[in-house]
Amino acid sequence: MSRSAIAEVAAGPSPAAALAGRALEVIAPFLIALAVGGLVLAVTGRDAIGTYGLLVEQSLGGAQAIANTLVAATPILFTGLATGVAFRTGVFNVGVEGSLYVGAFAAAWVGFSFTTLPGPLLVFLAVVSGGLAGVAWAAVPGALRAWWRVDEVVTTLMANYIAILFTSYLVNYWFLAPGVANSMSPLVAAQAQLSPLVGSTQLTLAFPIALVATFLYWVLFRATTVGYRLQIVGMSPRFATASGIHVARTIIVAMVISGLLGGLAGAFQILAVNHRFIANFSPGYGFTGIAVALLGRNSAPGILAAALFFGALANGGSMIQLFSDIPLDLINVVQGTVMIIAVIELRRLGRLVRARSHA
Amino acid sequence: MLEVLSTILASAAPATTAILLAAMGGLINRQAGIVNIGLEAIMLVGAFIAVVVSAATGSPFVAVVSAALVGGVVGLFFSITITRLGGNEIISGLGLNLLVVGLFGYLLPVAYGVQGTLIPTGLVGLPSIQLPLIDAIPLVGPVLSGHDPLTYLSWLSVPLVSLFLYRTAAGIALRATGANEEAALAAGIPTRLVRDMSTVVAGMFAGLAGAQLSLGVVTLFNKNMTGGRGFIALAAFYFGDARPGLTALGALIFGVFESASFRLQSSGWPPQIVQSLPYLVVVGSLTLVAVRQAWQTRARAERIALRVSSTPPGE
Repeated sequence: MSRSAIAEVAAGPSPAAALAGRALEVIAPFLIALAVGGLVLAVTGRDAIGTYGLLVEQSLGGAQAIANTLVAATPILFTGLATGVAFRTGVFNVGVEGSLYVGAFAAAWVGFSFTTLPGPLLVFLAVVSGGLAGVAWAAVPGALRAWWRVDEVVTTLMANYIAILFTSYLVNYWFLAPGVANSMSPLVAAQAQLSPLVGSTQLTLAFPIALVATFLYWVLFRATTVGYRLQIVGMSPRFATASGIHVARTIIVAMVISGLLGGLAGAFQILAVNHRFIANFSPGYGFTGIAVALLGRNSAPGILAAALFFGALANGGSMIQLFSDIPLDLINVVQGTVMIIAVIELRRLGRLVRARSHA
Repeated sequence: MLEVLSTILASAAPATTAILLAAMGGLINRQAGIVNIGLEAIMLVGAFIAVVVSAATGSPFVAVVSAALVGGVVGLFFSITITRLGGNEIISGLGLNLLVVGLFGYLLPVAYGVQGTLIPTGLVGLPSIQLPLIDAIPLVGPVLSGHDPLTYLSWLSVPLVSLFLYRTAAGIALRATGANEEAALAAGIPTRLVRDMSTVVAGMFAGLAGAQLSLGVVTLFNKNMTGGRGFIALAAFYFGDARPGLTALGALIFGVFESASFRLQSSGWPPQIVQSLPYLVVVGSLTLVAVRQAWQTRARAERIALRVSSTPPGE
């Protein structure tokens, strides 16, 4: 699939596409991926249906479980939106993980450095710094692509590893928490740690804010000129140029928004859950974001649904790991399958449905 | 000075092998028009297969061949998602990486009862081979001799890949496919088959690279043992613009970085900074190439503009 085709899929199916076909398109990768996971379980002599049952129970059964699922969904909702903005603009940003790392580090740094500031101000500054760090990180490959056509796939992929290593360097050489052997920064000030909304969960304001971001994402593409420009550039850069849209500038705008969301993902993960920067802390939130965006067809409701799905998987998976001998890694198998299937099978199905509806 | 260089290169040689092999596979794939982000995953599969087969048969040779074959099969599946099912190479590649990492993370404890590292009984590693005569040469001997067979194979692969790409009909068909698939198709080249075969070959190279890690560098399998080398290989052939000689140079530079990182670490260099050098080099070199191209294009445009404006109207 070419890049413009990704953007085309992103822009939604043609009006003629049947609703049923669309539902099938969206659901099929979930089912296939779960089937592959089930196959792995069965082949290794585990009870696939029982495991999935436990997974559903642990991720959805009861308020505590649902709260944990929402907590797990929060970072990947942000990274899914971050990826979605870029994909819809036809910019292949696979570097959200990098923005997440620098955003997380910046937020943690503000949080443990300016400990005398009042809570709301400190949180605000930490979030803003995290977002801006993410923007700065993404703007570089964005500008390189926009001005000199440097392949953003390679630069953003490389930038991920640079960000992971660089933040690890910062924490190990400059900001190591006193008395801690592992690569951790000091804790952020107590007033900067977001307090739980419900009981003793880790569900904080971070999730509602991610929902607001999802709504703004929807508004961006539904009702704003900027969003329209992004979309046109994604569909056809040549047409965009012909209609007077500044393509280079639009690409940079997409990368800036993408980096902002990626940085926010990291910042909120620190303030809500980890409370300190830990080297290599992300289990691939940025990469899961790619799966989320693909599965959600880059639309706001789709991304929300996919983030909740992966959040439930991650939460349920880690609970299963606690209670049985089934490692959390199974979730990566499901996720990897989704990524491979989401772009291939869907298009074939889509073509089939379209061919049938034309006949 | 020369002694230092000799020591550096001697320890860089085995560290370069896996990167070089994977990069050679990746560049063949790239020349055929596919960017293979799945190299890292296929390397890990190769490393695993090599260890399991070596333990089962006691023959590292059979193990290496199996790793290459299985690598080729994984490459084929990967290729089909791209060439025949309309998948995107980057997404499929990232997905493959996740899938494989998850699979081994799952399988090691569940099927083998170990966490992370697998050392089955009866595992035999690759022998190191002394090259007669050469190993007696001072300074040069330690660099060129005393390595595992896959290291020698990786060196041989550079001229062989070069010969294949630029001097054989198949190589030219492959490059034509990568340069312009429609034109190649019109010229009667079965482009899909060519692209699939290039990915199979890339998979075989990556499988060999994995086998070198698990039977050459060390004799065990660890789920993190590829450690980003697949991406460094990607970096190497991007650095080398998918040309064998330059790519090999890139792989060697990154191999030197890697083997030096331990030493630099003990002399106070942060390992994280040393490890990020390959990635920085790639971003830097891609940018330089792109800027130069942009300037050349602009210079050409200005020359044409000048010619047009100095031509009197009506001529």
